[in-house]
Amino acid sequence: MQNARDTFYVTLRDRLAALNPARTMLVRSVVRPGLLVEENELASANPPANVFRLRWTALRVDAKGALPLVAMGCEIRYATDGNAGNGGMDRGRLIAAMDAELGAAVNASPQNVGKRNYTAVPAVAMGTNVFWGDVVFGNAAVNGERVERVATVEVFCYQEAGEL
Amino acid sequence: MWRRGWGDAMADLLLNAVAMRRAADVLLRGVGGRSVMLRMPAPASAGDVSEQLGLAVPEFQDVELAPVVLTRGNEKTRTMVVSANAVNAVVGSMGYSAANVLFADAFGVLVDGVLMEVESVTETELGGAPAIYRLILQEPVALRV
Repeated sequence: MQNARDTFYVTLRDRLAALNPARTMLVRSVVRPGLLVEENELASANPPANVFRLRWTALRVDAKGALPLVAMGCEIRYATDGNAGNGGMDRGRLIAAMDAELGAAVNASPQNVGKRNYTAVPAVAMGTNVFWGDVVFGNAAVNGERVERVATVEVFCYQEAGEL
Repeated sequence: MWRRGWGDAMADLLLNAVAMRRAADVLLRGVGGRSVMLRMPAPASAGDVSEQLGLAVPEFQDVELAPVVLTRGNEKTRTMVVSANAVNAVVGSMGYSAANVLFADAFGVLVDGVLMEVESVTETELGGAPAIYRLILQEPVALRV
């Protein structure tokens, strides 16, 4: 299922970067597209604003079929303080722009991609697909001047023979 | 009638930020200042997806901070007071823009071989510039008493 997680992250990252190339973040002196997987980064008490943070949550494995079907919960968290130059009064517009980008990236057809193994260099295509449902947006939460939202997507894949 | 001392600035030196930082250095050394290591992650690899996927971990480098004074906070934390001179030297040598960026990027503080996470940083200004930084360090769960 790690291969499916990696594949979904790379797919979503590339789709978001294509929709808005300007949404970037600085991670240890390197500019990257504005999507990170929390469990793959150094722990931080201060989550960055204006970027998407992906967190893997629930996990279910249905072993009835020929290949076990894995369903994974994926939370995508994001927040904005608005632009300081505008006194933060545009934070509603900025969170709306992030909502639109995420919705467009996740719900765009096709909602599946061939699973790839990224432990090999270059990544190797595997035999099954990763597929996912529509994004579900949670309520916006206001934390001081910051507006935050958690969106969820359910991601599915088949566990191939010999795959960890 | 002018008399020496009336209206003259008697203590320009003490208002000088450099002098304040030196005074802070001396005070910290005087109360048993010691050295610790600040563990910094090396810059990320540009265009390398393996770090983004957690396949590769960044390398770390340890830089010395001295003088510092450590005191115990609650059962989970320790407080570290460090001289701004020491912090500025590291900020300059590692090419950071400011001390708060340095501490935000730091992986932790190595005290006698034990890595403690930086929970928060506050600064005390004297003479218009930071003279000392106070860091709250979180002890690893295994060492909590």
